[in-house]
Amino acid sequence: MDLIITLMLVFGLVFFLGGSLGIIRFPDFYSRLHPAGKLDTGGLVITMTAFAVYTVQPLTMASVITSIKILLIIFFVFITSPTAIHSIVDAGVRAGLEPWEKKGGTGT
Amino acid sequence: MKRGGLVLFSIMGLLLAWGVLEFPGLGDPSSPASSHLSPYYIQHSLTDTAVPNMVTAVLADYRGYDTMFETIVIFTAAIVCIFLLRTFKPPASRYRMYRHMATGITLRIEKGGKTPDDSEHFERIDSVWVPHDLVIRTTCRMVIPFIQVFALYVIAHGHHSPGGGFQGGVILGASVVLFAVCFDLRRTIRYLGEKMCALLCALGVLIYAGTGILCMGLQSNFLDYSALAGLFGTDPVMARSHGILIVEIGVGMAVMAVMVMLYYNLASAGRHDEGL
Repeated sequence: MDLIITLMLVFGLVFFLGGSLGIIRFPDFYSRLHPAGKLDTGGLVITMTAFAVYTVQPLTMASVITSIKILLIIFFVFITSPTAIHSIVDAGVRAGLEPWEKKGGTGT
Repeated sequence: MKRGGLVLFSIMGLLLAWGVLEFPGLGDPSSPASSHLSPYYIQHSLTDTAVPNMVTAVLADYRGYDTMFETIVIFTAAIVCIFLLRTFKPPASRYRMYRHMATGITLRIEKGGKTPDDSEHFERIDSVWVPHDLVIRTTCRMVIPFIQVFALYVIAHGHHSPGGGFQGGVILGASVVLFAVCFDLRRTIRYLGEKMCALLCALGVLIYAGTGILCMGLQSNFLDYSALAGLFGTDPVMARSHGILIVEIGVGMAVMAVMVMLYYNLASAGRHDEGL
């Protein structure tokens, strides 16, 4: 069980690492929001699930309730985080920000 | 005038800095606060007030007078915001924008044109861009009730867990602000108007101060909640716990209203139309 939890935590941290690298390395606003939204949400869901599994290890009523609370956090983050990114992208489009294009290429 | 203010400001700042020099060192174990006050709170707060969360007990009971003025400071912030920013006569614009509700088409009607003000199918909107996004609206519609329930939980559960009036009030205000962000300000003001906000804000402070005066009326000290034992029908220790709850509700109302009012005025530069 501990092995699974550790694997999930490491996997989630890999997601976070990829997300932070992507935010720094990607060329423009929209492509930076892609790792910000996707990888952060994914990493958070995986690490929080690992916490939830870790919490129920001594299977008592109190630990199950704590675990359910963590699952609720996952649920709300899973809904709200992509929506926030969606609205930021939306605001960018409406404000007239052009997507990045490769110089000399055929465009998007 | 400006120079005089600067001189006065510098003198006050130097006086404050001079006063700070007299303070005991940070975390000094022999300072009066560490040697007398903190051990008393740690040992007696549960038996005195029946509140497991020591922070809440100190905040709203032992130092209730201080917290009352914190609430008044927040109240003052809202009043100042109204006086500085609110403009009651907006400059007349050359055109008005309306949205057809069913299709989302925006109409721009020049001055003198026929406006569909009394039609049910059109609503008046303010700027060229008003967020009209299904995803964001649906999510907000789903999340806002949970935010509000959680805010009430934070206010009411401040006795046992981190939380209390200030935190819960801010969360409650944030839910209204979220509604205003994802729908529009005009509609939010229709649901929770400016007068209502001002009323709630003043009422919150009144609840706090009124509790204190009620304690005085029951022949006790200002904000000594154990005097309320007769009203609640409990022993004095439990009455202090209940008194904290009442005060926290007042703080929560005031903070919520102030947050909403600050957002209304700051987001629209005091015009209360669709800003941003």
